[in-house]
Amino acid sequence: MKKVSLWQIFITFFKTGLFTFGGGYAMIAILEEELVAKKNWITSEDMLNMLVIAESTPGVIAVNTATSVGYRLRGFFGAIIATIGVVLPSFIIITGLSFVIELIADNKWYKAAFTGIQACVTILIINAFIKMAGQLKRDWFNVIAVLAAFAVATFTNFNVIFLILIGGVLGLIITLIYEAVRKKKQAVKEVVNDGDIDKTIESDISTNVSSDTLNGNLNAQSDIIDSATDGINENEQSGGEK
Amino acid sequence: MEFLYLFWEFFVIGLVTIGGGYAMLSPVTQVVEKYGWMTENELYNFVGIAESTPGPFAINLATFVGVRVGGTTALGVFGSILGALVTTIAVVLPSLVIIIVVTKLFDKFNNSKYVQGVLYGIRPVVVGLILASVIRIMCTVILPNLNLKAITGEGFKQFNWISLIIVAVFFPLSRIKIKGKKIHPILLIVLSAVVGVVLFGAIGVTQ
Repeated sequence: MKKVSLWQIFITFFKTGLFTFGGGYAMIAILEEELVAKKNWITSEDMLNMLVIAESTPGVIAVNTATSVGYRLRGFFGAIIATIGVVLPSFIIITGLSFVIELIADNKWYKAAFTGIQACVTILIINAFIKMAGQLKRDWFNVIAVLAAFAVATFTNFNVIFLILIGGVLGLIITLIYEAVRKKKQAVKEVVNDGDIDKTIESDISTNVSSDTLNGNLNAQSDIIDSATDGINENEQSGGEK
Repeated sequence: MEFLYLFWEFFVIGLVTIGGGYAMLSPVTQVVEKYGWMTENELYNFVGIAESTPGPFAINLATFVGVRVGGTTALGVFGSILGALVTTIAVVLPSLVIIIVVTKLFDKFNNSKYVQGVLYGIRPVVVGLILASVIRIMCTVILPNLNLKAITGEGFKQFNWISLIIVAVFFPLSRIKIKGKKIHPILLIVLSAVVGVVLFGAIGVTQ
């Protein structure tokens, strides 16, 4: 990894924040092009790892990626500079725009345009839902959790933040129970097979560990590749229009 | 005081929402309603703007709420800018800390069954919340008087046919691929704005 100056980090992420629309995966495709292909600051494997982190930690995916890359390049200050860089364009543009919106909010044409735009926004959110639902594993827990979260958030005033926290706790409990049940089953099976308890426990542990990490990694990797290609497609699209 | 609320609410949102952008829409809607900061309608209008201005969607959303709420305080324009600063920093701060820790411990983090278990539970909830946003915005567009938390016959009296037709036409438009590429969302937004101006402005159609 090369030594990169903080100023270079700032400029690169400022540019990225300025030229990506919609954020998230669109931005990641651009970062990949900029940081891996052009500037050679990080390897594409690093980039994938950072994407895993960005997706599975709280917060805005595009900002998470920037923070993560900044940290890899220049440690703590790199992380802060990259984050400021990627957020600053939005901050300036939206602050300015908000004043304009307030001035024209009662204008007839503005209202007419936004009656149309709201219909379009509905579709954008539907598409976001389709995309994210498609990334979920097809199992009962997921189906029930999606529907329950939907129903509670739509028809009650229950705080959605608590819904997310409850989801996290349930997911953890279910994963741990599933793990325990599987281990027990496996152990019983092997005891019946060869009767050697010491051996059973040993092999049990090793198979569990290896298959787990392998599965986890494979899933994560294929997810990333999917979303990265999505991002690249979006990127090409926007490039094509310019 | 308003700034403290802004900071706290957006800090919490930044801390727990995984999946970015649209995942944050549900909690943000709930927060602005709770404090009476703005109407759902105003927020959804802004979703169109956030999508067609540069930068991450979620940051745009946070900044916008900050400007609006800060602007209502005694500080005026200065309040707006302060509000925007507060929400933007608040929503980013949890990530900043978490990411720095996690990047350091990447392998441990990625293979931990605890982390994977928590994520397994959070992902479907976030998808459910996005579905809730779909239905809520659908209602503001098509059945503006319907309150989903207390459904009455009154809510179905105003039915916006025209908006429903726009949604029905734009949805397939957003899914088709021309030469393997989907139509860019910004183009769709511009198109829908034109449709809105022509129908509701120039022709003067009433819903």
